[in-house]
Amino acid sequence: MNRALAAGVAAMLLAGARTGAAPPGSTAASAASVAADSARVPAGLGVPAVATVRVDGVDVVPANDLAWLLGAARSWNADVRKLVLTFGAHRLTFTDGNPFVIADDRTLELDHQVFSRAGELQVPVELARALPEDGGWPRLGYDARAGELRAAPADGYVGSPRVLVRAGTTELVIPTEHPELARVVGRGRSRFRMRFRGAFSGALPDSLPADALVHDVSVRATPGGLTFELAVDAAAAGWRWELSPSRDAVTLTLDRAAGALQPFAPEPPPGARPLRTVVLDPGHGGVDTGVQSDGVLEKTLTLDLAKALADELRRRAGAHVTLTRTDDRDMSQLGRSEVANAPKPDVVVSLHFGMSLDPRARGGAAWCAPASVSGAVLDPPGVPADRAHAPALLELLPWRDAATAHAVEGRALAEDLTAVLEHDGFGPMSVRERMPLALLGVTAPGVLLECGTLSNKEERARILAPNGIHRLAAAIATGLILWQHGGE
Amino acid sequence: MRRLGLIALGLVLIALALFARQGFQHENQPGPLPVAPESTATSVRSVPLWFASADGDSLVLEPRDLAEPSGLHPRLAALVAALEQGPRGDGARTLPQGTSLQHAYLDETGLLTLDLSPAFRQGFQGGARVEELVVGSLVRTVSANVPEAKRIRIVCGGAAFTSLGGHFPLDRPLDPDDWP
Repeated sequence: MNRALAAGVAAMLLAGARTGAAPPGSTAASAASVAADSARVPAGLGVPAVATVRVDGVDVVPANDLAWLLGAARSWNADVRKLVLTFGAHRLTFTDGNPFVIADDRTLELDHQVFSRAGELQVPVELARALPEDGGWPRLGYDARAGELRAAPADGYVGSPRVLVRAGTTELVIPTEHPELARVVGRGRSRFRMRFRGAFSGALPDSLPADALVHDVSVRATPGGLTFELAVDAAAAGWRWELSPSRDAVTLTLDRAAGALQPFAPEPPPGARPLRTVVLDPGHGGVDTGVQSDGVLEKTLTLDLAKALADELRRRAGAHVTLTRTDDRDMSQLGRSEVANAPKPDVVVSLHFGMSLDPRARGGAAWCAPASVSGAVLDPPGVPADRAHAPALLELLPWRDAATAHAVEGRALAEDLTAVLEHDGFGPMSVRERMPLALLGVTAPGVLLECGTLSNKEERARILAPNGIHRLAAAIATGLILWQHGGE
Repeated sequence: MRRLGLIALGLVLIALALFARQGFQHENQPGPLPVAPESTATSVRSVPLWFASADGDSLVLEPRDLAEPSGLHPRLAALVAALEQGPRGDGARTLPQGTSLQHAYLDETGLLTLDLSPAFRQGFQGGARVEELVVGSLVRTVSANVPEAKRIRIVCGGAAFTSLGGHFPLDRPLDPDDWP
């Protein structure tokens, strides 16, 4: 199938959202209807679209692609050469060689016939304008210039963010058809994230005011919606997330004065961090062998690595190091977090090795706790700030999410560790924000570090070489010391 | 002699009847199918499935035509079976071989419980990256095709469990928004 999900940010939100259907026939009418169709379903990031083709001067869309665009089930009756598309409460019936389309109980007449080509029905694109505009029918738009038929996203559009700066306050206003579905999902200053439902049909600001508390705005499509990510200035003391008075946008307010605002994820003071007490967690153990590759058990390697790393840290950083296990034994996660929290550590590193689906894959990854937000924080307009934010001041963190209070430090640790491992030839490495099991209930900055891929023959041989574990331990120790010195 | 003649006449008539029937059928035989052959048997839908990328580092989308069963359980069972079979294009299978859906429950709050066969846990082999891909492909595929599921709880053999491979917690319902 020739499908093309529209990607890339549209340069503009086309004005004039709806234009009545023009009578077909004249060139002027056709041009007007093309413009109208483009406007009724603007292009944008995350807008579902399929490519159209021109056959004998008629622009058509293959029926299977149309079904995909509508999310429809297809049913073909060969005897009468009819195709029925069923989606939600609606049915569309097409007949080969016939310009009439049955839409539920209505009959639509297209300018051209539906016809069969290469074993598939082809539907003229004027269907987009012929569909009923009432009764909850999907909105389709044909863009002749782009050569695509688009469907309006089920959750609507998100428009261009506007940045307003006034008296020490920066407001980011983001229009959305469903503000109630928008939420803050990451509250770290350097990666402040907001998730929206729908597709982006706007443009990001070309530049930001010099005195704005936001330095960078980016957007990316995620399944089911969009994620905006901001880089927030260190001078911002807090944030507020509220429904705009017109109820068609959400406003993120950043303020230099703390007041009764939501806090950012806790950040350490700039400069050196303490590295007096380190907890190392050798992954797996006992009946849980972890991954196995060519007779090598992950649980054995992680324990060897933890012991070698403990020696490195004692020698090079003078750190007091505790291991969650020092022999081959079963341990519950609760048991591990109890052992980890007991010495009040400055940092916790859970050591693992991986195994890939691709035997050529190499390297590893570091997982850290996300700087997430618990609870609903979208405030209605007109609610006094102190009342609106009262729950935030009493926010309770579930014990298992304790590590999220150290998310910013954990992210910095993950970046420093992976940077050194890559530099020392253990890459490629990546950083991912997802709460790992090993950090549940842990009250310190930490990461789960997958140090290498045992399914890769060369990488396995290098780790198992006489100095392999010690080279790896030295690189991880360097990463921890780098983190201790604030990444410098 | 007359009896033999009657038998011969009967045989000729039967042969003529068979020939005529075949010719009639040929006249009415439909032409080439105007849509993909699989869509003629029953109602089919193109569904998004998420598999691991070929390098095992991320998830990739593969649309596939599946028969449209009625009811939640058959619909989910078909999705799990498709994931278990693996991709037809580039990419790699995520669900361990033999994984199937045993039961599915959707409560009024939108909590969907997927009860997978024991092969899901027993057949898992991999580190944290593989575990993230396995859970991610399941959560993304289910949430994309069953929008009424607001949260997804994965159980195995009728019992809850802490983690698939010891790297990520699975003892709580998963929010599809957390697996983008």
